[in-house]
Amino acid sequence: MDFQEFLRLAISGFVGTFGFTLLFRSNKNRVIISSFGGLLTCVVYALSCVYFDHELMQNLFPALVATIYAEIMARMTKAPATPILACSIIPLVPGGKLYYTTYYFVVGEMENFYDSFIALLRIASGLAVGIILVSVAVHEINRHKFKHIFDVD
Amino acid sequence: MQVSNSETNSNLPENSEKILSLALDLGKSMVQCGAEINRVEETVRHICSAYGIHKTQVFSVISMVYATVIEKNGKTNTQMRRIYSYAPNFDRLEQINALSRKICAERPPIEEAAAELKSIFVKKKKFRPTVCLGYIIAAMAFTVFFGGNFADSVASAPIALVIYLINAYVKSTGVNRLFFTALSSAAAGFLAIFFVHIGFGENANMIMIGDIMLIVPGLMIVNSVREMLCGDIMSGLLRLLESVMIALAIACGFAVAIITMGKIL
Repeated sequence: MDFQEFLRLAISGFVGTFGFTLLFRSNKNRVIISSFGGLLTCVVYALSCVYFDHELMQNLFPALVATIYAEIMARMTKAPATPILACSIIPLVPGGKLYYTTYYFVVGEMENFYDSFIALLRIASGLAVGIILVSVAVHEINRHKFKHIFDVD
Repeated sequence: MQVSNSETNSNLPENSEKILSLALDLGKSMVQCGAEINRVEETVRHICSAYGIHKTQVFSVISMVYATVIEKNGKTNTQMRRIYSYAPNFDRLEQINALSRKICAERPPIEEAAAELKSIFVKKKKFRPTVCLGYIIAAMAFTVFFGGNFADSVASAPIALVIYLINAYVKSTGVNRLFFTALSSAAAGFLAIFFVHIGFGENANMIMIGDIMLIVPGLMIVNSVREMLCGDIMSGLLRLLESVMIALAIACGFAVAIITMGKIL
């Protein structure tokens, strides 16, 4: 990935995330934070593409960083982390892959369907695992704070 | 522990019924605004325990919230809320979140909290310029993101507007969502190929993928895997199935557009 490509990815990712913050009707105080989350995700994605050549790892690290960013920003602005995270992760969300997978299925190109289906699974689970790793840690910390509520039998 | 039936329910103090009702309404509105399921269940538990309920059992999937509260004397009360539609609305989600924090911290009278919850859901305008702008900006940016050039990006803007208008119509009328997803993707496909044909934009594929990002449930599929990893298998499966259905509808719409336009042009 050359520098121009990197710049294109980062800028369009940033602007696209900004668009999605409006689309998801984020609180106006959170729009800029979430957009920078998208930028951060794009940058980390570009970097991890240099170091790894497997889709799982390429998506796991940006998701990890985006979740940490969202949790920190949520603490700082006293807001829930989910909206910030959902916007920050947008550039990596496998929307195109999901579309191609089902498109190949509909038109009957089964080999292409199989390939993009596997890639879709890898990307989705990479992102999900990245998010989970952080949110489980946060959840555990919260659990000690509100122990009485979680005592379900 | 006593078994719940109508007789024991009527003996409960009115209070626990109202508390549960408030908690479930709050949970329902969280699901409607796009919260994760475990957060919803957690919130319902927090609110019930804030008002001094002994034990709360809550189960939620994306189409309903269901909870039983158990009092110290063993009496129980069960209610459920059915959820028909949901769309991300993070501003509202934040307000609900703030309200639930406030309830847990201050324990206001239940009627007051319920009124406040209702005030979050005041009827909104039909046409929202900022959301519309969001659609256009996102489509333009993602056209470039996936490798389109500037002309493609400009061509994707009017298509995004069309998608927004169809979406706004569906939201206001509550007609079959899958059908209209297919319709809006078919419209987007027709327009994209037509624009490229008359020389407005260069790569129909890039224009389409930029616009697809607006309707494809990519975030939903990530969230569904995430929920399943968290242990909410039911909710995750439902979400996964729904996102696959939506994606299939989109693919069918585009396939119709591509095949027909291929025959015409």
